[in-house]
Amino acid sequence: MTKFLDDGPGAGDTRGNGVVATPLVVLSQAGPALWLLFRIWLQLGVQSFGGGMATLYMIRRAVVDQRQWLTAAEFTQDWALCQAAPGINLICMTILIGRRVAGIPGALVAVIGLLLPSVSITITMTALYATFRDSTLLQSALHGVVPATVGLGLLLSSSMARPLLAASWRESWGSLVVSSGLLVGSALALLLWHLPVILVLCCAGLIGALTAWQQTLRKAYVRHD
Amino acid sequence: MCAMIEPLTYFWLLLKASLFSTGGTGNLPSIHADMLARGWATDRHFAEALAIGQISPGPNGLWVVCFGYLTAGVRGALLAALAITIPPFFVLAVAALHRRIGDHPAMQGFVRGLGLAVSGIFLVVVVQLLNEVGIDWRSVTLVLAAVGLGLSNRLPIPVVLGLAAVAGMVLY
Repeated sequence: MTKFLDDGPGAGDTRGNGVVATPLVVLSQAGPALWLLFRIWLQLGVQSFGGGMATLYMIRRAVVDQRQWLTAAEFTQDWALCQAAPGINLICMTILIGRRVAGIPGALVAVIGLLLPSVSITITMTALYATFRDSTLLQSALHGVVPATVGLGLLLSSSMARPLLAASWRESWGSLVVSSGLLVGSALALLLWHLPVILVLCCAGLIGALTAWQQTLRKAYVRHD
Repeated sequence: MCAMIEPLTYFWLLLKASLFSTGGTGNLPSIHADMLARGWATDRHFAEALAIGQISPGPNGLWVVCFGYLTAGVRGALLAALAITIPPFFVLAVAALHRRIGDHPAMQGFVRGLGLAVSGIFLVVVVQLLNEVGIDWRSVTLVLAAVGLGLSNRLPIPVVLGLAAVAGMVLY
């Protein structure tokens, strides 16, 4: 997938069971392991042009194929967990892998390695843009870029919603109705009634939880009959 | 010109938005609503930050860092970087929770409901960004062209945006 379409929620249908939390490295060896982690993640951070999925692939090659810090299954399982966690999925993934290798210090070091180069370059690029933002040529270029960003945003929104709707469709008609209702309802809640975004998100999560729970209860009840 | 920014509140708004959303752009609707309400940002800031965030390296969630720079300078960019670095650490709690009750249907239902709401709200906010350039045949054509190129998956995103920039120079 392309950069804009990568880290939406909902791709986490492939959940595994249980995550092994034991760090691979005991404390006495933590120094060199931390340094190695930092170096590897710094390299990944510098190369992370081209966005989420390309970067995830590079991480996988580094930690699964080259270093064998995780198995392929553990990698997939960790990525699924990242879909359900707050914030940027790639940072979540970096934290989980860093902790597997060298505990919490490992997680911190890996995150700093990933973000140091990319955040510095991003700030530099923004500063450059800000210097020239009032030139008419840059302004007309931006006039073209904004609609393109909107178009890619539409794709992102649909790629976030599609796997969730597909999963509901596989379950039942009722489930699909509830899911479509949540999708349209939350858009309307913002557009028409200007409700606070956090409130809409929490309500949608609760409705989702209650309906899923109620459906399993009903299924269990039918089976007992 | 934008109203005076209080750094602590500014930081909290960015942090809160990222805590209650997943993915790099899930925090957009919340930040958009809060910052516009306080007069600390305009639609133009969002359009610019999202565009630069797409082109720059790193996860696409770094658009918040661009936003921070454009609205509050280097200090804003650093506050933004900190605000988007903290929430992912909750993945450790999610992993622990998942070990215990991950397969509970209510938990999965919650995640699904949240994801659907994020998609719906995101759609509204993204379309509102079009107000920045006005809705006419030029902008609608560019939106459709970007959707087409994105769906075909042939070109990397920075190239698509580069083409859009050239088109903008010609059309406007």
